[in-house]
Amino acid sequence: MNRTRALLKKIAWSAFTVLFVIILNFFLFRILPGDPARAGIRDPRLKKEAVEMLRVRFGLDKPVINCFESLNPIKVGSCAVNPLDTQFFIYTRNLFQGELGISYHTNRPVADILAERLWNTVLLIGAGQILSIIIGVVFGIFAAWKARTSVDYSAVIASLLVWSLPTFWLAILLLFWGSNNGLPLAGKSTPGSSSLPLIQQWVDIARHMLLPTLTYTIVYMGEYTLIMRSSLMDVLSEDYILTAKAKGLSTFQILKDHALKNAMLPLVTVIAINLGFTVAGAIQIEAVFSWPGLGGAIVEALGRRDFPVLQGAFLLIAVTVIFANLLADLTYSYLDPRVKVD
Amino acid sequence: MNSSEPKQQWLIRLQSFWQTFSKNRIGLVGLAMLALLILMAIFAPLIAPYTSSSSAEFQVGDIYNPPSASHWFGTDDAGQDIFSNFVFGARISLIVGFFAAFISIIIGGVLGLVAGFLGGRWENLLMRFTDTMLVIPDLPLMVVIIALTKPSLLNIIFVIGLLGWTTTARVVRSQTLAVKSRKFVLRARAVGAGNAHIISRHILPLVMPILVVQAVLVVSLAILNESALSFLGLGDPTVLSWGQMLNYAFGRGAMSIGAWWALFFPGFGIVWVVLGLTLLGQGLEQVLNPRLDTHHLMPGRPTVRKDRVEAQTKFTKETVLEVQNLSINYINEGKPPARAVENVSFTLNAGELIGLVGESGCGKTTLMLSLLRLLPSAGQIVDGRVFFNGEDLTTISDEELNKIRWKEISIVFQGAMNALNPVRTVGDQIAEAITRHMPDFPKDKIQARVIELLDLVGIAADHREHFPHQYSGGMRQRAMIAMALACNPQVIIADEPTTALDVMIQAQILELLDSLRKKLGLAIIFVTHDLGVVAEICDKVLVMYGGVTAEYAEVDTIYNEPRHPYTQELIKAFPDLTKPKKKLTSIPGYPPRLDNLPVGCRFAPRCPAVFARCHTEQPILHNLGNSHIASCHLVEASK
Repeated sequence: MNRTRALLKKIAWSAFTVLFVIILNFFLFRILPGDPARAGIRDPRLKKEAVEMLRVRFGLDKPVINCFESLNPIKVGSCAVNPLDTQFFIYTRNLFQGELGISYHTNRPVADILAERLWNTVLLIGAGQILSIIIGVVFGIFAAWKARTSVDYSAVIASLLVWSLPTFWLAILLLFWGSNNGLPLAGKSTPGSSSLPLIQQWVDIARHMLLPTLTYTIVYMGEYTLIMRSSLMDVLSEDYILTAKAKGLSTFQILKDHALKNAMLPLVTVIAINLGFTVAGAIQIEAVFSWPGLGGAIVEALGRRDFPVLQGAFLLIAVTVIFANLLADLTYSYLDPRVKVD
Repeated sequence: MNSSEPKQQWLIRLQSFWQTFSKNRIGLVGLAMLALLILMAIFAPLIAPYTSSSSAEFQVGDIYNPPSASHWFGTDDAGQDIFSNFVFGARISLIVGFFAAFISIIIGGVLGLVAGFLGGRWENLLMRFTDTMLVIPDLPLMVVIIALTKPSLLNIIFVIGLLGWTTTARVVRSQTLAVKSRKFVLRARAVGAGNAHIISRHILPLVMPILVVQAVLVVSLAILNESALSFLGLGDPTVLSWGQMLNYAFGRGAMSIGAWWALFFPGFGIVWVVLGLTLLGQGLEQVLNPRLDTHHLMPGRPTVRKDRVEAQTKFTKETVLEVQNLSINYINEGKPPARAVENVSFTLNAGELIGLVGESGCGKTTLMLSLLRLLPSAGQIVDGRVFFNGEDLTTISDEELNKIRWKEISIVFQGAMNALNPVRTVGDQIAEAITRHMPDFPKDKIQARVIELLDLVGIAADHREHFPHQYSGGMRQRAMIAMALACNPQVIIADEPTTALDVMIQAQILELLDSLRKKLGLAIIFVTHDLGVVAEICDKVLVMYGGVTAEYAEVDTIYNEPRHPYTQELIKAFPDLTKPKKKLTSIPGYPPRLDNLPVGCRFAPRCPAVFARCHTEQPILHNLGNSHIASCHLVEASK
């Protein structure tokens, strides 16, 4: 009962956050120069009917939102407008129908461009997260277990060092190293590889993924090491570890059966909170390795002033992160028996 | 008027802070790295061999020349001296870092303070907003905003600053919450101090240390963000930051030419400043918010022993545990060792219940933990032996000891809440003891055994599937006893099992232990600070004070002929039902601190019968016959 309510609360909060992002996105692009909807209309080559069509499609003939005719906040408009008949609502409705506008550059629907790229980013972040979490957890366990020895100190210093590396710079260094060692340097697959058998295609993709994933892993494993270390240190100084020791369990048994699950629980929360930051790393890595993901799309869109793609990519990233966050939250409440009571 | 007074206080505080900080190696290295960079930024025009990039004569060489005597870091895609650009680039990083962090810290600090201080609706609203902002990925949002506006240095500073406050708000809020309920804040409020006064005078000084650590972190994040934005082509085109240098080099063929110097040095600058800040932050954190950094799995210190002729003891068949002259030190770096237990001996026979009595801090728990070598890593057995069935537990190997732990000697810890693992069911934790020590126990009978054990302590069978937090305090304590019985041990150490329980439950637990002893023939060591408890069920009593044996005798002797003034005072301090009109007295003062033990008798400062000799000479253990031992100079006089 309580659990269901907590679950609904979390989902409601995520929905609210998504709404917040939509509002932010709407005003950001409408207020600041470069609104894809209006910029399209300004194109002098468009015929009058085409302009009209675009105006209706994006609702530009409608008031921005109730009480505000235009984006000038001083000019108050009529408040007695049907809210469904405002630019904001039309924008939101378009979003839910997957209508993100047309790319200036390729003339393809933004939604189509981003859909295929989302999976590439998820692939990169997924592989990088799993590796960095595994390595970070293992290092963190050793550091905490061997606390205040040279093993611990080296792990902490190394973690602080990799944390301080700018992601894109490490990517560049690894790219340099890779170029001397015959690794593929850009993209997700070798051109023309799609005619190869499936296994070889996968090997090709894995080779392309090697350096981006390595960069991602190195940059984030330091943080996970530190978090795991401090979390495990906390757990290992709990009374129930002393009980376990008094029970005659070996160090390995204590770590495995009594400390790890308890220490991993806070890690789940941190991973969830961190997702927003890790996207920053993915963008930089994709920029250096020309990885065809959302980050790559953002970088390309920046260069081409392709605002519809930029807007869509930001929205998609934000919503994905919010969703992943919710997922991590739910995992946590599933894993920790104490949450049921709270 | 009194403006000089707080100033001096600040100075004193600063001095004491510096004293600890100057011993922190990590923090000092970080501070030195940062200071070096700040100096470089300030004296950039003097250090850089070529003038700033805005000057026309800046064009000085061929493009992408490798490092040489005239160009230490080589030249870039425009033939500019990379070393000069590197030196000037430090200014941009520091300016962006410090100004953006300033904005973030102000916003985050104010939001956190207000949310934590006001609480209720406001806190809810502000923290919801913070969480929302925290989830939204910040770099993409910065990219969007700067792409849509002008990429000027000012814009970059504002965007980074306005988006970087979320963690600060969270950290400050939780610290404010922690501080808010402290006594002096409540007192200030009670005498009618205004909110502004309470915040600025009472809360801010305590939030400040955490805010400083956070600020260092935020500066480093701002610098990283600036470099990433510049690298993505969103930097201010009129200033050459390190990120911008990398953007140009990477975008203009440094990679294909192999001009590693154009790609390496600017990034090295970023790593230098961020690492310096990170180390500084770590150092500050360690100094301002010190943590003990010890845990139960750290290796214990090996037993050391003065070589001396052991008094040969005759083990009778009944003797299960024989503790001889046990002494324990706590070792702290840079301090003399603290003597926690000194020269304690006692004998435990089968089926016997011995009470270990004394106030908190008298070394009772230390003594009990040392029997199974469960001391924290600072604890060390420095003398004495612990014989269990003739085997010395202080010297056997860890593997041997692990076979005796719980199988032969188990412990009921005090305050069973944290003694049980919160994420495993109670039944599971009891079963674990069985599988560990009785590998031959039939697997399908383990559940039945768990149910039997729980039944023994009066817990219904279906509760075994529950987690400790679903138990009441008394139930947890009983579950702990069930777990201690799991392997049919010969000895149970019960370390204040009834403290923190209400009187009814206390009585239940006591009765339970006593009946189990009679039923199962257990030997029990019962640790308590309550002599009343001891009177009811114990056979023998060991009274400890300040780590030494004050008195040791049969329970009747202790009550009827106590010889040590401490025992006498303890007896006066508990109610006697046969003499209801007797006045209860308490002993003024506290037990001595382990790191500051008195020279003579440890009880001398509180002793009602103290005389001159007590302050200069520590009394030895006097044997009064019939295994009655007391350590008091008065006993010697009357012997």
